[in-house]
Amino acid sequence: MTTRDFCIKWLAYILALLPVWFLESFVLSRFPLMGVKPMLLPFCVVAVATLEGATAGAGFGLGVGLLFDISAGGVPGAMILLMALLGLGVGLLAQYVLRQDFVGCFLCGVLALCTIDGLRIALRLLGGVAPLNVMLTLAGKEILWSLCFTPLVYLLFRWVFRRVPKATVL
Amino acid sequence: MKDFLRQNGILILVIALLLALITAVFSFTFNGIANPFANLAGVVATPFRNGLNAAVTWAEGVYSDTFEREQMAQELEWYKQRVAELEAEARAGEAASRENERLRDLLEFQQKHSELHTEPATVTARGSSNWSSTLTVSKGSAAGVEAGNCVIDQYGNLVGLVSEVGLNWSSLITVVDVDLELGGLIARTDGAAIVEGDFALMGEGRLKLTFLPEGTRLLAGDTILTSGLRSGGTATYPSGLVVGHVEEVRSDEGGMSDYAILAPATDLESLEQVFIIKEFDVVE
Repeated sequence: MTTRDFCIKWLAYILALLPVWFLESFVLSRFPLMGVKPMLLPFCVVAVATLEGATAGAGFGLGVGLLFDISAGGVPGAMILLMALLGLGVGLLAQYVLRQDFVGCFLCGVLALCTIDGLRIALRLLGGVAPLNVMLTLAGKEILWSLCFTPLVYLLFRWVFRRVPKATVL
Repeated sequence: MKDFLRQNGILILVIALLLALITAVFSFTFNGIANPFANLAGVVATPFRNGLNAAVTWAEGVYSDTFEREQMAQELEWYKQRVAELEAEARAGEAASRENERLRDLLEFQQKHSELHTEPATVTARGSSNWSSTLTVSKGSAAGVEAGNCVIDQYGNLVGLVSEVGLNWSSLITVVDVDLELGGLIARTDGAAIVEGDFALMGEGRLKLTFLPEGTRLLAGDTILTSGLRSGGTATYPSGLVVGHVEEVRSDEGGMSDYAILAPATDLESLEQVFIIKEFDVVE
């Protein structure tokens, strides 16, 4: 793959990320369902990692983590590392354990959201900020509401994946 | 895994670790100042956020005009009646105010006043996380905004506190966020209490009034004001700002103490314009 192909490919993925980020940050954040807003950015990492593999997933996760850190706040810097690791983990899972299709992406998405919310709950439990049952309820609602958007995000990134240049395997 | 190692995967993880460390160290060292990545992204994104926000607000306005006209007409009628009632109350209060002024002069008390130096700003984004309640506004350090500044709406109701400042944008935690804790004053009884966000209530857009003075009987609708003191004892915002109204009183799990559920006076869902209090001068 030439440098030009490489740039076109990642520019296409970044352009695909923008409408998802717009939807999450500007539209769905204004109209929460039963007080809950969905989390879409991790699905973008999961979709790219499932389709492209571990290295691409980790790289894309790094970028999305930076965007997540800037737009959603939380523990400074934590999302950058977490998303890169999620991209790596999901890429390896999809390559060696699951299949690189929608089912694989969906299962990895569930795992990614559970990991993110699990860490959030653990941090808040350590700080004694909120009771466990309240946080579990919120996490459950958030994960379920977010999963409704998996097909949309997956289809968008698969559409991009089918059109971007790929490395030639000899 | 071999592919990952061969394709600079480790390098990507090292870069991620370094970026995370830089962000974390910067945030903990310069508390309240946005880290360079967030600042740059915020500076670039602010004009787009303003544009997008204007478009979304316009669409909401069109929707309201089309489908909520009848409800708005009813609300207008109610507000007209309320204005008439308040005008009558204000006329009655004028005599008491004059008497109060005379008595103050007699006792040589300094006139109670509050002077707020505010910076108007537009709400450009709402936090997309369910684990905190934040807003992004269109003014930052270039306009003299600092972390810890207090934010009110056009009616003087407390909206929140500035938590992070960029060049032309700021993030603020709202009154219902778990991290907010400040001194409250029950307007009817003058009793002091603590206003704080609660995780279980945050999703419903409500907050808590705790450490109620002994023997206080709160009534639904009681107004809660800021006392001017944070829990640490430092005054970072003026007293007398309306925080919210009491909805109900509950007992804690052990039944040992009561707390009140407050509805914020400001409408966080439809907030568009806010005022950041950069400086204030209150004489009690």
